[in-house]
Amino acid sequence: MTTRSAAIGQPSPWVLPAALVLALVSFVAAMFLGVVDLPADDIAAVLTGSGSPEARSIILDIRLPRIATGILAGIQFALAGLLLQTITRNPLADPSLMGVSQGATLTVTMFLLFTVYISNTDSYSVVELPIGWLPAAGLAGGMIAGGIIYLLAFRLDLTPLRITLCGIAIGAVLHAIAIGVIAGWGSARIEIILEWMSGSLYARTWDHALFLLPFTIAGLAVLPLIYRPLILLQFDAAVARSFGLSYRKQFSLVLLVSCALAASAVGAVGPIVFVGLIVPHLARFLAGRHFRLVLPLTIVLGAVVVTLGDLIGRLAGGAEEVPIGVVTALVGVPVLLALLRKVP
Amino acid sequence: MDARKSSIAIGLIVVTTVLIIVAGLLPGAKMLSIDTVLRALVAPDGKIESILVWTLRLPRSLAAAIAGAGLAVSGYILQSLTRNPLADPGITGVTAGAIAPIVTCFVLLPWVPGAYYPFIGLAGGLAAASVTFWVSRGGNGRPLHLALGGISVSLFLGSITIYVLLLAGPQSTALLFWISGGFAGRSWSHLLQMLPWVAIGIAGALALHRVISMFSLSDHAAAGMGVQLNLWKPILLLLGVCPVAGVAPVAGPVAFVGLAAPHIARLLRPRGTAMEIGLSAAIGALIVASADLIARTIAIPRELPVGIITALLGGPIFVYLIQRGRLDFKGEAA
Repeated sequence: MTTRSAAIGQPSPWVLPAALVLALVSFVAAMFLGVVDLPADDIAAVLTGSGSPEARSIILDIRLPRIATGILAGIQFALAGLLLQTITRNPLADPSLMGVSQGATLTVTMFLLFTVYISNTDSYSVVELPIGWLPAAGLAGGMIAGGIIYLLAFRLDLTPLRITLCGIAIGAVLHAIAIGVIAGWGSARIEIILEWMSGSLYARTWDHALFLLPFTIAGLAVLPLIYRPLILLQFDAAVARSFGLSYRKQFSLVLLVSCALAASAVGAVGPIVFVGLIVPHLARFLAGRHFRLVLPLTIVLGAVVVTLGDLIGRLAGGAEEVPIGVVTALVGVPVLLALLRKVP
Repeated sequence: MDARKSSIAIGLIVVTTVLIIVAGLLPGAKMLSIDTVLRALVAPDGKIESILVWTLRLPRSLAAAIAGAGLAVSGYILQSLTRNPLADPGITGVTAGAIAPIVTCFVLLPWVPGAYYPFIGLAGGLAAASVTFWVSRGGNGRPLHLALGGISVSLFLGSITIYVLLLAGPQSTALLFWISGGFAGRSWSHLLQMLPWVAIGIAGALALHRVISMFSLSDHAAAGMGVQLNLWKPILLLLGVCPVAGVAPVAGPVAFVGLAAPHIARLLRPRGTAMEIGLSAAIGALIVASADLIARTIAIPRELPVGIITALLGGPIFVYLIQRGRLDFKGEAA
């Protein structure tokens, strides 16, 4: 298999199946490995419907929902990154670089501020936090940030480069405001927002997975519709138009899809940085320029990267687990810098 | 503007900054009248007003102004060095590079005395800047590379910072206020700690203004005029990082000042590089002093981090610069 993939220009037909196998292996590993050592046959028994009550609760209520949320979020981040990179013709576009994550951070912060911290000035008392609403709040913020970028970009008919830069600027402003709001409310209970901001799959339930599921399905379902436009959007506006593409309409549509995917994922798991950036490049590295193969590979690898990243974070930190956002940042940056250096 | 007008402009801005600082002595949790403040300034005594003015309000306002001047000059140097209008301490990753090791030291190595923090910040800032510059080929690559490389370095360090904050537990609130940039409770000792670093940056930039002006043409032109690139590039980078290393341990990151101030200064078209540097410093001081005043008066007795105010002021300037085409990008695809 390795010898065949060495042939230049023609990706190995085994790349996709290999990625799928890798995905399967990582899911199984994520299910069997954890801080609590469960005997393997017990876990296998749970999956077939029996098993000890302890194993049942750990697997069904903790690990499985977490893995499911991670897979969905990984798919969404990776897909959003691929779409953004394709339409801005910028190999470095990523939801967390372009303001979507920061917008979501801001609204989640504001939401927590207004629902909990304002009414409850006694900062040490324990209140039940409206965690179930956080994904929706994050989604709204990410979409608003995407909308601002869109308006700026299209009102002024900017080049992709300037769109990216506007995104960076808007992201920085939103991030500053979010941090300021957190610092300004003076509560001692900022761990929740910190944990969320670093991107974490900690304590994700089936609710989170169910929240993400419609977005993932919608995102995947719309792919056949935008497949041809996507290929044309890789070219200059003039070239794309000459192929009969209504550039503006399709660009907006893809941007919308990408923002929705990224924003809902950020809402559910926080900004897991660099997944959207790295995974499409990984896919391109494996599949070459064949977009037909890059697309499914991106989706599969997105799920793998998040699952493995979360597994590493869970195992590496022991009881104090390392948030997956930190893991992906640590792994992603060397890749990114090497990439930046390679791009002429 | 000719040389005289430029000097007058700098003088005017400095006077305005001083006025803002004096005005900043009045409001607060306890409002003071203008003659009380003046009396306390001229003849300090042991009364509460005098303590308020001399130990609480004056040092922090001065610290804000000095930090602003330092960050502006830092931004000016970085922009000239890279010939990239987007370069500033935030976007090149210098600020994050200074913040992350300081937070880490504060939480994980509490025995490191605070006096070393500027050095730690300097090392971190230089390291981050070196990575960014390596990625953007010493500022000769596409401008986008510098911005994206720097932002990625910032994101990377930012996620480390947040993780360390998570480990910090109860300390994290105080630290978070610090990393959002603010001057609350900064005293004379903080000011003195910061001053030499800022002074080195500004004095160095003024002393080397000829080299800086040659660098802002192009590497070739600078080399052609006898500038030794291998010698001066690292020195200028060091000079650019110096003020940030001084400011970061005291005030945290103060966003966008280093970006906006030099651009505003250039829009005024002063004569010569030295005047531009002076004007940038004055404008930076004015911006941060005003932002600090706004940050602590807008919601008395609460206080906002000054970083929010500067981000709110600077972000729109940034977007304006991008879309107005004020910034030239070499090699931009149409």
